[in-house]
Amino acid sequence: MKYLNEVWSSRELLFNLVSRDVRGKYKRTVFGQLWSLANPLALMLIYSLVFGVFFPSNPRAGDPSGLNVFALWLLCGLLPWTFFSAVVSSGAGSLVDNANLIQKVSFSRIVLPFSTVGAAAYNWMFEIAVLLIAITIAGGFVLPWIPLVIVAMALLALFAAGVALLFSIANVYFRDTQYLLTIVLQFWLYLTPIIYPIERVANKSAEIGGLGGTPVRIVDIYNFNPMVHFVALFRELIYDNRFPDPLEWLICLIWAAAALSFGMLVFRKNERNLAEAL
Amino acid sequence: MSDIAVRVDHVTKSFRMYHERNQSLKSAIMRGRTSVHEDFLALDDVSFDVPAGSTFGLIGSNGSGKSTLLKCLANIYYPNKGAITHFGKIAAMLEVGSGFHAELSGRDNVFLNGSILGMSRKDVTRKFDEIIDFSGVEQFIDQPVKNYSSGMYVRLGFAIAINVDPDILVVDEVLAVGDAEFQEKCFQKFRDFKAAGKTVILVSHSMPTVQAMCDQTAWLDHGVLKAAGPAKSTIKAYLKSLNVEPD
Repeated sequence: MKYLNEVWSSRELLFNLVSRDVRGKYKRTVFGQLWSLANPLALMLIYSLVFGVFFPSNPRAGDPSGLNVFALWLLCGLLPWTFFSAVVSSGAGSLVDNANLIQKVSFSRIVLPFSTVGAAAYNWMFEIAVLLIAITIAGGFVLPWIPLVIVAMALLALFAAGVALLFSIANVYFRDTQYLLTIVLQFWLYLTPIIYPIERVANKSAEIGGLGGTPVRIVDIYNFNPMVHFVALFRELIYDNRFPDPLEWLICLIWAAAALSFGMLVFRKNERNLAEAL
Repeated sequence: MSDIAVRVDHVTKSFRMYHERNQSLKSAIMRGRTSVHEDFLALDDVSFDVPAGSTFGLIGSNGSGKSTLLKCLANIYYPNKGAITHFGKIAAMLEVGSGFHAELSGRDNVFLNGSILGMSRKDVTRKFDEIIDFSGVEQFIDQPVKNYSSGMYVRLGFAIAINVDPDILVVDEVLAVGDAEFQEKCFQKFRDFKAAGKTVILVSHSMPTVQAMCDQTAWLDHGVLKAAGPAKSTIKAYLKSLNVEPD
């Protein structure tokens, strides 16, 4: 509790660090903030070409929205993913990158990984806003779901923050972490139903049945990936325009709470040692 | 002035000296351990009190543990044994301009750096003019700090740090920078501090500086406290040990 108080009292510093990141990032570029939209847009183009045209992954139409646009369906899963992966990879480096600051000034160290969450969330809000506008233009009725979209975004941000805390500490002791992380994130992307619909996995899993004579099916293992549930949340809210299963909400809430509390626990335990370990 | 500002109580700090440090997963897994090390005592059972309102100097040769002690005072390192208690708000100036963002303007950096040092936005706004005035970079305050000369950079950093307005100020050898005029300004600021009943703890290799500024000193040698007390006698003993005749 005392620790939470300390973190809370550093919120102004957190805000300043986020604004440092946000304002410093696109300085001296012609397009400025627009660059933050370039990356998801480029991914959307290439995935739409490959998985919408060459190997069509044929997701079902939005129900009840009736939307049937691959690019929009893709973005509903891709934008949460790019946010998550940006938070985790920049969060992992946040302590090592600020080693000098940590060794010279005493402040609540946890604001460093948290500030990367804030900076990524700032970009993410623009991306989601653009997506919501695009969905509306395409005929989806997403307006009433916006408050719930914000709740889902907050849950994912907390989950990502927890994971980033763990990796930031790991990276102090093992600098391999950041390189290993790019590989892990690559696997993770393809093991999450972002560019293909989850029905594909469910069908294949039903076809194969229990693994090695046990009642455990592929989809049961697959569902251990928390991002499966987060992506489902966003797709149902934004693309289908319906209320997701309360169980999905609960799973996401549990993952977010577990990741954040475990992350903070580990961080707190190692915080005092950081200045020496770096 | 018998009050105590900081009590250093049997402080011991050791560092690990690594003979073999495996900061990669491969070696950690292959050998089943992350390191082979032995402990090096940087501070060995150091105890002294810093009286409130004094200017306290830490002296000693290189590697004597002064900086380690300073970092312990600044809550950057934590002692293995013993405790440091301070009575009042403490602020450390181990480096000036920490966390400056090169692309942002001097103005933005004042707010950023101020909040890193623990000031609220309100504090910074209130003291903004004083900070700018002291730093003497008013003309360039809206320029990105990457265009500042090193002197301007340091002056701005120092001006922010000095305006944190703590009860106890911990200063590393940051005064070696800046021109003579600015240095004089800094010394004046320290004297004002003292006049206001606040405590300054500083590290310096320049005995004339210590002699001129400090009324109390502690002399460290290889992590062991050799002497602590009135500046004159401690400095004399230190110089004697170096076979240098005091002036």
